[in-house]
Amino acid sequence: MIGLGSHLLSAPLLASDISVGEHPQAKVLGLTVNVDIVWATIIAGLVVVALGMLLRSRATSGVPSKFQLLWELVVGAVQKQVDESIGPRGAKVVPLALTLFVFIFTCNLFVVLGIGSRFEFLPAPTSDINLPLAMALYVFVLTNAAAIRNRGVGGYVAHYLKQPFSPKLFPINLFMNGIEEIIKPLTLTLRLFGNLFAGGLMLSLLAALVIWRLGPVPVGGVLAIPLTIVWKLFDMAIGAIQAFIFALLTILYFDTAMAPEEAH
Amino acid sequence: MLIAANNNFLIPNGTFIVVLIAFILVLGFIGRSVVPYLNNLLTERQEQIRGELEAADRAKADAEEADAQRRAALEEARAHAREIVAQATLTAERTVTQAEGRAQEAADRIMQAADAEVAIARQAAVEEVTARVGEIVLAAAERVVGREIRAADHQDLIDEAIAAVRAETTSGAAAGAAGGRR
Repeated sequence: MIGLGSHLLSAPLLASDISVGEHPQAKVLGLTVNVDIVWATIIAGLVVVALGMLLRSRATSGVPSKFQLLWELVVGAVQKQVDESIGPRGAKVVPLALTLFVFIFTCNLFVVLGIGSRFEFLPAPTSDINLPLAMALYVFVLTNAAAIRNRGVGGYVAHYLKQPFSPKLFPINLFMNGIEEIIKPLTLTLRLFGNLFAGGLMLSLLAALVIWRLGPVPVGGVLAIPLTIVWKLFDMAIGAIQAFIFALLTILYFDTAMAPEEAH
Repeated sequence: MLIAANNNFLIPNGTFIVVLIAFILVLGFIGRSVVPYLNNLLTERQEQIRGELEAADRAKADAEEADAQRRAALEEARAHAREIVAQATLTAERTVTQAEGRAQEAADRIMQAADAEVAIARQAAVEEVTARVGEIVLAAAERVVGREIRAADHQDLIDEAIAAVRAETTSGAAAGAAGGRR
């Protein structure tokens, strides 16, 4: 769109003018830290904790309020999903899946506050690779630990070597199972990060649209506002779906890890 | 692109450790404080609802029992009432029968007494009439004949008249007595 109309632009907009994945950074103990992401992650965490505290201060075993019902609805949905996938053994997965859903959903909602500037005051923490990767690797470590607890170290190793083909073809089995296992945290990370990152990028592009003028008519400026509103609504839906997918896949990975050997 | 190679946004940096710690803290809070808390609440509510349902069942059973008792008591009372009414009817009938009997007796007695009195009075009247009828007849005859008539001379006539009177009164009394009894 921008390329097509470039000869009409009073001030040509170059792709390099749109910032991508830039963050204000600081050096802490020799490590580079994205200050805005840390800040936003802490805020999102505090929001979730505050919602939990609010629940504890208000909740009753009698007639529940709407707020309490919402919590019960989410927890009930997670428990149902875990029950149907893993069964009673999966009870320990419920807090993790619930936290993933609520925390990611809260983080994703921050896209609504974005204005498409180079640095956002409160960017969605999930639009930076670090948080999705941290959560995905955490899930990866826990699922493999659960698999070792389920099958024993020998069974765990055998699981990589003895199927899907005959044990004689163990190098191929190891390769296929290894790829499958490594793919899991990668896709978890990139799916969440990519969606949220693209959401922020879209906001930047929509903001850059303001430059587009036809003579004295600020076409881009008029279009940018409704498009941004529509995009943010869409992005909120994306945020909810991505939070749901992350939590659901976590449950399914635990299901695979905790399943009895003969089921595979 | 403003991003340098060592600042590629696909490469994680130190932020990773900080946000991982933040996530684990949130997970700890949810896992320790929210999930068990909500589960307790839900269990408590289930217990409450079960208790309430049981109480409702008990109350219903109690109500049904009380209703059955009430019906039984009502039925018993009705039966009792019917019995009382039957007894009362019986007693009343007996009383009426007795009263009727007594009344009949009394009436009969009164009638008999009255009949007896009437008969006595009639007897007395007849005797008085018979006693005086001779004199009257003689006096009347004297006036008709214009001289004294001796009773002894006409004793036969007198006796005949007395007999006539007596016969007449007796038949009248018999007719009267028959009419009174009817």
